[in-house]
Amino acid sequence: MDEKRTAIVAEIPHMRRYARALLRDRDAADDLVQDSLERAFSRLDHWREGENPRRWLFTIMHHLFIDHMRRDSRRRVAAEVPIEAAHGVATPPAQLDGLQSREVLDALHAIAPERRAALVLVALEGYSYAEAANTLGIPTGTLMSRISRGREDLRARLDDSSRRRTIRVVET
Amino acid sequence: MTARPFSEHDIHLSLDGELPAEEREEFEAWLQQHPEKRALRDRFAADREKLRAALAGVVDEPLPERLARFGTARPSQRRAWSWRRIAAGVALFVAGGGLGYLAGSDALSPAGAHAAQIAERAIEAHVIYSAEKLHVVEVGADEKDHLVGWLSKRVGTTLVAPDFSQSGYELVGGRLLPADARAAAMFIYQDAAGARISLYVVRDSGAADTGFKLREELGACALYWLDGGYGYALTATNMPGETLRTLAGSAYQQMLAAQRG
Repeated sequence: MDEKRTAIVAEIPHMRRYARALLRDRDAADDLVQDSLERAFSRLDHWREGENPRRWLFTIMHHLFIDHMRRDSRRRVAAEVPIEAAHGVATPPAQLDGLQSREVLDALHAIAPERRAALVLVALEGYSYAEAANTLGIPTGTLMSRISRGREDLRARLDDSSRRRTIRVVET
Repeated sequence: MTARPFSEHDIHLSLDGELPAEEREEFEAWLQQHPEKRALRDRFAADREKLRAALAGVVDEPLPERLARFGTARPSQRRAWSWRRIAAGVALFVAGGGLGYLAGSDALSPAGAHAAQIAERAIEAHVIYSAEKLHVVEVGADEKDHLVGWLSKRVGTTLVAPDFSQSGYELVGGRLLPADARAAAMFIYQDAAGARISLYVVRDSGAADTGFKLREELGACALYWLDGGYGYALTATNMPGETLRTLAGSAYQQMLAAQRG
């Protein structure tokens, strides 16, 4: 049991990176990691002997991400946040990275979530098509089309953002 | 041996390490013969590098306490908020994606998106009207009381045309502008050299107050903020940030005083 715990905890930094690729906001990304960890620890017996911990955890994360996204797309209006929560959503200015990082992350988060997840698993996390398709629970052909469209979208967004640059200034 | 016909599809396979080893050499040769395909491959590879670089630091960040405690004790405390926050992010990238519009990172918050949109409109109006020689305003400064009364009524709050004369800007006049189904007011000022700045005001009851934010677009610069259910943007071209901020601070104070008075 402790071995399993140690193996899972060792994956937290990678889970955070994957979550941050899926969700722009740092707190929301950490919420996803936290919920995934809670689910993982409550189902340790589902983790098969010899299965790669990261793959198992990413599958859990992806399910949580997609479940809520689906629920959300059915009631998009209801997903408007109250103002107090909206403040929590914005990334604190002190944590903003360089302009280029911001641009590429904004571009990534502007593309469709399914394409984003597929692209991130393969291009960022180095999954093979078979592994990524398995994690996402989709056929390999679907995965491939999501990746190619995701790449095209990302490129288009980056071209767009280099045309219209936004600089954020801290409150006076 | 004849190479099979390659296509853009193979660019993705190659980038993702899925191109069979025996085809790689031929694929590279094909890229050499098709410079536009090679450029596309290089571009995709560069985008991927940017993405990796942008997220590389995350794995080295210290864990926040709520995650770190999984390594020690059995976590018991649950949050009620998490998915609402995620839903908020999702709703916005759905909306943002559809419009091709997601600007700064703060555009992820509803308040940020609202405010950025105001700045965008203000900049557009500024670029269009401040370039006008003859018809820069609808109502001139010689009819200032009428102008301010009219725009206040249409926008729905007590406006003032702020006095920027200490900074050398005199009121030229103002305009009524459409902003979706609402009315927006624009006051235009000019200095002795003919440089123009404009103040844009529109009702925006849906968003929270913000501090000053800067947006640069179309060669103009807007300092914008939300306050008390209204959005404001002060726009200029070629103005030092410090001056713009001073003027915006002054506009904010004068508007506030008028609305309280």
